[in-house]
Amino acid sequence: MSLISIEFLCFCLVLVLLFYLIKGPYQWIILLVASIAFYCFCGPKYIVYILVTATTVYFTARGIEGFSKKRDAYLADHKETLGREEKKAYKADIKSRQKRLLFLCILLNVGILATLKYLDFGIAYFNYYRLMLTGNTNLVLQPMLILPLGISFYTFQSLGYVIDVYYGKVKAERQYFRFLLFVSFFPQIIQGPISRFADLEPQLFTPKRFETERIKSGLYRILFGLFKKLVIADRLSAYVTRTAAFREDYKGIYLLLCIFFYAFQIYGDFSGGIDVAIGTAELFGIRLTDNFERPFFSKSIAEYWRRWHITLGTWFRDYIFYPLSVNKRVLNLGKWCRSHLGEGVGKRVPIYLPMIAVWALTGMWHGSESKYIVWGLCNCFFLILGTEAEPFSARIMEKLHLRNDMFVMKCYRIFKTFWLMSFLRVFDFVKTPRDGFCMIRDAFIKWDTFDWHEVYTTLLFPKEEVIVAFVAIILLTVVSLIQRKGRIADRLLKKSPWIQYSTLAAFALLILIFGSYGLGYDAQSFIYMNF
Amino acid sequence: MEELREILEGIHPEVDYDSETGLIDRRIFDSFDVITLVGELMDHFDVEITAEQMVPDHFNSMQAIWSLLEELMEE
Repeated sequence: MSLISIEFLCFCLVLVLLFYLIKGPYQWIILLVASIAFYCFCGPKYIVYILVTATTVYFTARGIEGFSKKRDAYLADHKETLGREEKKAYKADIKSRQKRLLFLCILLNVGILATLKYLDFGIAYFNYYRLMLTGNTNLVLQPMLILPLGISFYTFQSLGYVIDVYYGKVKAERQYFRFLLFVSFFPQIIQGPISRFADLEPQLFTPKRFETERIKSGLYRILFGLFKKLVIADRLSAYVTRTAAFREDYKGIYLLLCIFFYAFQIYGDFSGGIDVAIGTAELFGIRLTDNFERPFFSKSIAEYWRRWHITLGTWFRDYIFYPLSVNKRVLNLGKWCRSHLGEGVGKRVPIYLPMIAVWALTGMWHGSESKYIVWGLCNCFFLILGTEAEPFSARIMEKLHLRNDMFVMKCYRIFKTFWLMSFLRVFDFVKTPRDGFCMIRDAFIKWDTFDWHEVYTTLLFPKEEVIVAFVAIILLTVVSLIQRKGRIADRLLKKSPWIQYSTLAAFALLILIFGSYGLGYDAQSFIYMNF
Repeated sequence: MEELREILEGIHPEVDYDSETGLIDRRIFDSFDVITLVGELMDHFDVEITAEQMVPDHFNSMQAIWSLLEELMEE
């Protein structure tokens, strides 16, 4: 069942009704049953994977907390008899047991994810290189594994929780089924956001009363998400798919247009899906973490990545980047570099090495093909370049009497960041990294060959579609600009009911008229669902 | 505390560390700055800062960082 379907709409309607009829402390059970039912609707045989993750993480967290309690009790009982060093040694022993438990849990769950995601890819590579190097034509059969729905998202969310328990940031959940709801909460299962236990848990289990304002706010969010997905993303995908398929026949502005459209397609698709997820959760009084903060208005790549897929970025920062950066081995390597290669290199090593690892992993998270790793490392390269070039660009700006807070400079930086990130996105829809680099190169040649007529006819993207696409992109940009000063939904809720309901109706009408759905369209697949 | 102030001013000299309480929350320090700071703190104060201590509350103000350092130096 897709988030964008009549079935999902009916599912939510029934659920909202039940949820507010039941009232009180048992509302979460409705959400749990609904989440499991939703998962089963999407593919019942894959439920075993999510149950394995939930169960192993649940027991690991309980085990880790058990060790902490044991340690505290032992230290309290032997407060007087144990010396400082003995206490330290005991704490270290418990910590190492907890670490082993955590390691096993991570290994198991990352192992499941990696096997499902990369086994086919690994076998394909193995077959290819064996054929090339030895001429052996006996192919190892690929099991053609299918990824269970949302596995990357729920695995990361669950591992984030168990690491937080290990760090002592949150307490382990005692009730298994409550924890299962945290892992499987249906609005976010398809493509996030990746929630933190400390944020989501209290909301899931607090009894909610029916509030019209909250329902309206949720509906605004859902409709805006549908607008992004159906009017923008699915419309633009037609042009992007065809141009990418005939990439070698098109150069210059055709490709620039494709790259520009893809930037909005992926944004509309992903953030639209997230809006639907957040809006749906809001119908049940649950506010999920925002995953986007108007990323196309970022003035640097670093800022862009703080505003795009925020929950994945902060996940990698907290659970990969920071632990690697403060890891003793990495710090010692930094010290070694400082004494052998100079202060500058030594200072950078503990930052850049984890960064390269994080970006390689981010790339791998997006997919098993090598193009995703190239994409991740390209992002890392430009981030490092941006940091290293900062003193140089500051000197140039000083000479030219320019300041970063000048309007013209802000526009230039936004323009530069937008196009750089859009060019890097090319790796998403090409087959190989080489194709990606070729496409970027080809976008800068033969600009004079562009003809709108070709777009309307051969590329099957009629004039009306082009106009609607551009108007929708402008509308999205305007809305994003307005949202600088806060959520539009919050402001609308302060207006008269007449304005509120007309806006809802207008948005619904806009989607019905201009949305890309029906025969020939596939609104079911979100791009990030495959990640 | 003065040594800490010097380290902080080496990273972001423009910040008023006496009054600022949102170094992380207001995104004055990004993850680069935090890692640079942690490296400097570990070197200067001979303490070990682990991943579990990498939470915004510990780095939002000079006072918070100092409290973390005091706690670590006591251990």
